Amino acid sequence: MPRLLALVWPELRVPEADPRPFERMLDALDDLSPRVEAVDRGVALVEITGLEPMWGPEPRIAARAAMLTRGAAPLHVRCGIGENRWLATLAARLARPSRPDAPAALRVLERAELRDLPLGLLPADPAVRQRFALFGLTRMEQLADLSRSAVGAQFGPAGERLQALARGHDPRPVVPRRRPERVEAGATFETPLDGIGAVSLTLRRLAAELCDRLRERHRAPGRAVLELRLEDAPSLRVEQPFPQPALEPDWIARLLLSRLEAAARARSAGPEVADEPRVASVRLAFDRLSDPAASQLPAFEVRAGRWEELRWSLERMRHRFGEGRLWRAAVDRPTAALPEHRSRLVDIGP
Amino acid sequence: MSTDAAVSPSLANALETLHARGLGLRRGSDPEPLAGDRPAVPSGHPALDAALRGGGWPRGALALLDAPAGGGATSLALATLAAAQEAGGLTVWLDLDGTLDPAVAARLGVELDWLLVVRPRDAAEAIELTAWFGRSGLIDALVLDLGSHAAPDRRALDRLASLLARSGSTAALVLAPGARPVAGAAAGVRVALHRSAWLAVGRDLVGQRVRAVVERHRWALAGGSAELDLWFGEGRRIDALSPALADPRPVEVARPGLRVVSA
Repeated sequence: MPRLLALVWPELRVPEADPRPFERMLDALDDLSPRVEAVDRGVALVEITGLEPMWGPEPRIAARAAMLTRGAAPLHVRCGIGENRWLATLAARLARPSRPDAPAALRVLERAELRDLPLGLLPADPAVRQRFALFGLTRMEQLADLSRSAVGAQFGPAGERLQALARGHDPRPVVPRRRPERVEAGATFETPLDGIGAVSLTLRRLAAELCDRLRERHRAPGRAVLELRLEDAPSLRVEQPFPQPALEPDWIARLLLSRLEAAARARSAGPEVADEPRVASVRLAFDRLSDPAASQLPAFEVRAGRWEELRWSLERMRHRFGEGRLWRAAVDRPTAALPEHRSRLVDIGP
Repeated sequence: MSTDAAVSPSLANALETLHARGLGLRRGSDPEPLAGDRPAVPSGHPALDAALRGGGWPRGALALLDAPAGGGATSLALATLAAAQEAGGLTVWLDLDGTLDPAVAARLGVELDWLLVVRPRDAAEAIELTAWFGRSGLIDALVLDLGSHAAPDRRALDRLASLLARSGSTAALVLAPGARPVAGAAAGVRVALHRSAWLAVGRDLVGQRVRAVVERHRWALAGGSAELDLWFGEGRRIDALSPALADPRPVEVARPGLRVVSA
């Protein structure tokens, strides 16, 4: 019998929440099970069937999942375990922490327990709820015990689906997400390097190493993430999306270095940081991998290829001169009387 | 004295020999050699291309369009960008004053998809950005519109001219009505525009006729001139009819009575 673990982070469910930690949480859950589904923002489903021999009983697996995701972001989580996705997510919805400040709450919901729950927990629209009330149906068991044909006659196919849920049946399978591919390389310095500029050679070497690895597989990165661990200062982390999938270690290293210098300048403007941080280690990661041959436009138009090449220089200029310098023009109303109404400038973007 | 007299001729001969072999030594009065053998950037006016003697603006040249405000320098620069794009090139307009009207540029044939508009903070930054574009080797034609800003640093302009010449890929046109002496001294090519007539259709001014004189050319013979018809942005709207219908009016007589149709 399959067993599913649903995890819900209420703080990520609000519209204004920052969605970025969720991706990192999913990455962390990949270490627990190979089948992880991102149901919605702030809701994840993990198939835990057969994991007991490795991780222990189900509550311990849930605790492990909560611990792994707290490493990505320290948010409160509600965990639910059931034999299908409906029971697991409903269990997570009903889970209540043992004390108000507890970081995680767990509820295990079996099919038999479903019968005593109110019918209002079903994902029905208000009109159907109203009709349930008109028929005097208030609990799951009342709907579950009706014959399927009678429910179909009164409420249609949607009613039949709700009845199946009330009986604890949910045939929808877990659809595991594809784990984003990522390659990494790093270097640790026994004697820390003086200043951020000193990492340029190492950075070039790491970029070349990763490019070589990816070239053999006909893949190219769309983004680089560089992390510097500093002595006596917080780590520096910069992300650089590329104008196009690229396997050019020189360009990548130069772009990253200029972004790194900009980040270091911004930090040194603050009051609390020493002016020359010493670098203890460097870690470079490439992700958003794709097939570089998929972008074929430059092969057909020389100018388009040169424009793509130029975007690398433009990206460096943006770091050097700041935002608001490089634009493309678009004409909206060519016959407008005032020049400022005829056209607008559009940021060239990364 | 005798020693100097003995050494100087041999040194001069040695220098002359090296110079003839093109081994990198040049006299101070020699122009910076242009790198590369790519064709010149057309100006959009065949007569001016002929006057410039190389088929257009030489790549690697810093060229000053010397004209007073309203004298046709912007129209000529836009025509150059349009011609460069037609030949498959990438173009940049550095707009220090923010006066570029993209709608007019589009009407004069510039494809905005292949035009990068740059808004520098000041003249020094504009020159530095121009150097970046020159170094990239990917830009065919670039217009540095300094507008009415104060004169840029002469040494910075000299350095830019030298860098562009070494790169040999970009033809940079300078519009600097407020800094003509400084920009003119640093530029390798200087073209002066003198209005000779207005072009009118009925009572509407649709363009102007200018005489372009190549006053300075460090890599070819200067002194050539050409007569150009420069159409206002609105004039291009009746493109097919303008040349046939336009009627040259003397500058002094025609202007007060005519209605200017321009963007």
